[in-house]
Amino acid sequence: MEQTDKPKTYRRDLPIRDDEVDNSFKYEIANQVGGEGLLHCLKCGACSGGCPVSSVTDYRPRKVLGHVLLGLKDEVLASESIWMCAACFTCEERCVQQVNFTDVVTVLRNMASREGNAAPGYIKMAEAVMQNGRVTTRTSVVDKMREKLGLPPIQDPDIEQLGKIMQAGGLIKVIESNTKKEVETE
Amino acid sequence: MKKAIAWGCLIPTRRSLLGYEASTRKVLDHLNVETIDIPNETCCAPFWMQSLDLTTSIAMAARNLAKAEEMGLDLITPCSGCFHAYKRVNHVLEHYPDLRERIDDILQRVGLHYEGKVESSHLLEFLYKEIGIDELQRNSTRDLSSISIGLRYGCHMLKPHELLNIEYSERPTFADELLEPFGINSVEYAGRHRCCGGLLRGVQDDLADDILHERLVDVNEAGVDGIVTVCSLCHLQHDMGQRGIKRKYGMNNLDLPVVHFPQLIALGFGYSPEELGLDMHTVKTDKLVAKIMGGGRR
Repeated sequence: MEQTDKPKTYRRDLPIRDDEVDNSFKYEIANQVGGEGLLHCLKCGACSGGCPVSSVTDYRPRKVLGHVLLGLKDEVLASESIWMCAACFTCEERCVQQVNFTDVVTVLRNMASREGNAAPGYIKMAEAVMQNGRVTTRTSVVDKMREKLGLPPIQDPDIEQLGKIMQAGGLIKVIESNTKKEVETE
Repeated sequence: MKKAIAWGCLIPTRRSLLGYEASTRKVLDHLNVETIDIPNETCCAPFWMQSLDLTTSIAMAARNLAKAEEMGLDLITPCSGCFHAYKRVNHVLEHYPDLRERIDDILQRVGLHYEGKVESSHLLEFLYKEIGIDELQRNSTRDLSSISIGLRYGCHMLKPHELLNIEYSERPTFADELLEPFGINSVEYAGRHRCCGGLLRGVQDDLADDILHERLVDVNEAGVDGIVTVCSLCHLQHDMGQRGIKRKYGMNNLDLPVVHFPQLIALGFGYSPEELGLDMHTVKTDKLVAKIMGGGRR
């Protein structure tokens, strides 16, 4: 009988060869703030079990962890999957080994962002913060509603101070390396 | 009692969230808590910003905390995202000396210093730990027992509990306890404590829709009069996103008002729906409000 529903990756795609992996990748992660728990991972899958994104897509935190531990550095950092975490911290809460997957994701995203691989949506929001001091803008409609409700006028954010912090911390450089990449690909 | 208060980006600038600010101010004022807004508050750089660069994000959040520290006040915030970000600042400063040095250096360039002394509380945590249920009971003048609601704790007020230190998130009860003095029936239902996908909005919109759809199916089956949220993102998802989900997934029987937690408390204190901004939500709150007002005075 012919099998109609073949799995996407079958044996011929395995195994991953030694020259494709970077053995030091996991230590690189574990040495950064928030990544310390990575090496404790048992790959038990409690993270995937509670994940709200996993219940609507084939994204699995355990799979990401597996790839990281295996050392598939380039693949992981360029993948869309590290940008699919909704940051609900359920995996972190349930993990018996205190891997803190959400924090591991932050480390991975930081590395990807520096290389210009940040999710465009987050870059847009960061640009809005750079310009307005907050993710949203102030509108005259809302100002009037505030008045009607007896709320005090909104204080404008200290954009100058925030801009300097973003510059000194290196976030503006990260934003620029991502917008530059966008222009190049266009 | 005097506290600094951080409102976050969304609450003061989004129509349906203005009621959150109005009711929070009313409730705190009613309980004789004096609040000072963080001067010229800037973005707290929550999780999504930390994704781009953790170091800068911590420094950005520390900016607002430094302002509170200058005033010598502890901080309250009704926004779960801000709460999470501020808690993380103190944690990082305490546990990572190298990063602390870097943050000190960044802040110094704008003439600020943050020592790490500001204790940040979520509004609900403050009500529970520092005001107490008895005090809410004493101020309760309106009976709200005619309504049953689905209370959402959201993610960033509770998880991870080691960092945020309110209650373990799997079966939390503290916010339900806060509603007890008003007789509100808080219904336990499947998916109540699951993520609403708010942080994926604007980044992976289809995914955010799918997750929100699951949540709305769950709560719609619970047979409640409305949803209560404590998080700006939960509210934007459930309130502003509801019509879109209704259309996209053909959920014709979906019509659930989404109110802010302190709006219920302020109603219980006797404030009118209009002064709490209950007419500014995207999904009309009329039915829920009518049911409450029909309940009569205690």
